[in-house]
Amino acid sequence: MPNRMKLTVSHAPFWHTGSSTSVKYYHIIAVAMISVIFGFLQYGIPAIAVIALSVGSAMIWEAGFNYLAKRPNTIHDGNAALIGLILAMLLPAVTPWWVVITGTFVAIVIGKQIYGGLGANPFNPVVVAYAILILSWPVYLNYNAALVDYVFSFNPVYPMAAVKFQGAAAAENFSIIGMLMGQQVGGIGTGFGLGLIIGGAYLIARGFIRWEITVSFLAGIFATAFLFNLSNPELYAGPGFHLFTGMSLIGAIFLATEDSSSPVNFIPMLIYGALGGVLTVLIRNLGVHVDGVIFAILIISLVNPIVDKIRPKAKRRVMNYA
Amino acid sequence: MINRSFFGIAPPKLTYETISDEPPKPVSVFPKEKVTLFINEPLEKAAKLLIQTGTRVSAGQKLQLTTDSKTYVVSPVSGSIDAVTPFTGVMEKQMTSVVIRVEKDEGDPEVDGAFEAAAKTPGLETARDFLSGLPGAPDFSALARSDDPVKTILIMGADNDLMTITNQFVVRTEGGAIKDGVDALRRITGGRNVNMIMAVPSNLVQAAGAAGVAVKGVSNLFPHANPEMIALGFVGPEALGHKDSVAFFTAEAVARIGQAFKKGKVPFEKLITFVGKDGSKKIVSAPVGTPVKDILEKVGATVKDGDRIIFGGPMTGVSIYSIDHPVEPDTDAIIIQDKSQIIPSEDLACINCGQCVRVCPTHVPVNVLIRYLDAGEYEQAAEQAELDACIECGYCTYVCESRIPIFQHIRLAKHALKRMKAAEENNA
Repeated sequence: MPNRMKLTVSHAPFWHTGSSTSVKYYHIIAVAMISVIFGFLQYGIPAIAVIALSVGSAMIWEAGFNYLAKRPNTIHDGNAALIGLILAMLLPAVTPWWVVITGTFVAIVIGKQIYGGLGANPFNPVVVAYAILILSWPVYLNYNAALVDYVFSFNPVYPMAAVKFQGAAAAENFSIIGMLMGQQVGGIGTGFGLGLIIGGAYLIARGFIRWEITVSFLAGIFATAFLFNLSNPELYAGPGFHLFTGMSLIGAIFLATEDSSSPVNFIPMLIYGALGGVLTVLIRNLGVHVDGVIFAILIISLVNPIVDKIRPKAKRRVMNYA
Repeated sequence: MINRSFFGIAPPKLTYETISDEPPKPVSVFPKEKVTLFINEPLEKAAKLLIQTGTRVSAGQKLQLTTDSKTYVVSPVSGSIDAVTPFTGVMEKQMTSVVIRVEKDEGDPEVDGAFEAAAKTPGLETARDFLSGLPGAPDFSALARSDDPVKTILIMGADNDLMTITNQFVVRTEGGAIKDGVDALRRITGGRNVNMIMAVPSNLVQAAGAAGVAVKGVSNLFPHANPEMIALGFVGPEALGHKDSVAFFTAEAVARIGQAFKKGKVPFEKLITFVGKDGSKKIVSAPVGTPVKDILEKVGATVKDGDRIIFGGPMTGVSIYSIDHPVEPDTDAIIIQDKSQIIPSEDLACINCGQCVRVCPTHVPVNVLIRYLDAGEYEQAAEQAELDACIECGYCTYVCESRIPIFQHIRLAKHALKRMKAAEENNA
């Protein structure tokens, strides 16, 4: 007699933690909102316009590419929205609309989809997009030039640029407390240090990002900046300044920790993060660019596959019982 | 089943079930209508079969397909054979299913006397001839090997999967039978110098002391009670230089071996940890071959469309597709999951989050491995990504954020490689 009951049949294991990629991305988006809200308070409606355009266009590029490539539609997983959001957080509040749309195109299509989509990108798509934008149209991404029409209650100069062109003395015009509280010019979501730190602590505690990368990245910045400062205090600003301005915090928390382009083993994560921190300060102090975070992260993503080969030896299976 | 804690800075920890100080009384189940037994041999139509529909069997009778067969089952009931059909098990394992219609003479079933006579001369031959289908599925083949003799017998008093308390129950309640079994194993291995170690959960070390073998405690942190983890920990990698130098027996199998030789009867009652949808546990005792539906009826569990019945633990078990499926000698647990508790796998790519790498007990680079496996590059997976170091605990799949069925990929790859190797040897 045939048994009509249809049981669910699948392979072991039959338990799961319940974690999923989209839960993770929605949490990161939620945490990034702290900085976005601050950006709105600081820069007004134009900031929201850039954010909305960036998130929206990133999702449209994703859906469009999925359609053309005949892949399953993945905009619901939150990754495209997250890429759009983080990219917008790096941009000045008055970025022209076509720069934003070009940026999300580069991020989604060139940074992520052409490699095969989620999980296959060798570089953080946001970092690729920002790098291409700043090399192509530096004038629109120059915070000092872009935000010239705003009236701020604090020193209206981009701190990184000030130190770059005026020497370490300029750093004295910025207090660390002030920078933590967002009293500095920068991208929509890069200025409010305290919000980024609280968000990062939450993501680390929940296991959504890997603390090893964030901590070693910041430690790398601190140590390198400290050594530079020690060697020539007049030329190079101190480590506190480097930690809390520019893209240091957003880079350590949101950019360097991107899963696909970062290592997974313990020692490689420390090397990857620390190397990123060191390169950041090297580019800031010795390179031609005002901020080094973006290029530092590009370079560490490049070495990620090699570094990640440093891993514990597998306990070999030597038995083979029947 | 959702088990993730709010904080995630450290990988999720899973702990084995530990048996309470007062173990529950087993619920006895007797097959109502039919029993199904699996003979580990493909059914070949041309062969002259010893068993056919209508053949009468008595309890304790050995059933073989042909006179040349090495494999057999021992019928737990008296009755007549209802059907002999081919059956495909996990990973294409070709077996023969024998269905026996139970004849209800519960009082004193006619018992086949062959084992009683053989049990008077206990030894490896007797054990191999009658006892390999015992509850607990003892595997005597390793002991029979003469070229690379077994040096260590590991008795598994700890259950190798979560939720399961079957072997702990045996350790706690049947110390005498285990001791008999250990003595029998000593006779079976002859005068050879075989080291016997019993691994039990740390809280049972005292209780297990009477067995007359070295007892070692096992951490209750998953997957430390996995047989290979225990072997690695107790015997050590240096002792594992020889392939197969360790033989594994579950505590239940040892107790049944002891019982069989002491009473001159083959025992059939399999102890099973039954876990209902609400997580409540019962110990069920049912003859090997009893269909699940009889057990469900007895314990009052309901199963609906879309639910999942798991034979074995939640991490390494097998889900069955019919409530007619019988209890097998190695079915330590039966777990019922409600449809709403099931988290299905997804068809997503690996995002390289590294959770799997952080929980893997043998340091397999799972993130690299899954890329090879996904591409079907099984040989590369074995050479470059430590496929062979996997001890099949299922932990990586439990934590996978993309919900990739990694464990299934791994099993499939190992199966495919084994088949490729067998084909090469055949052609050579």
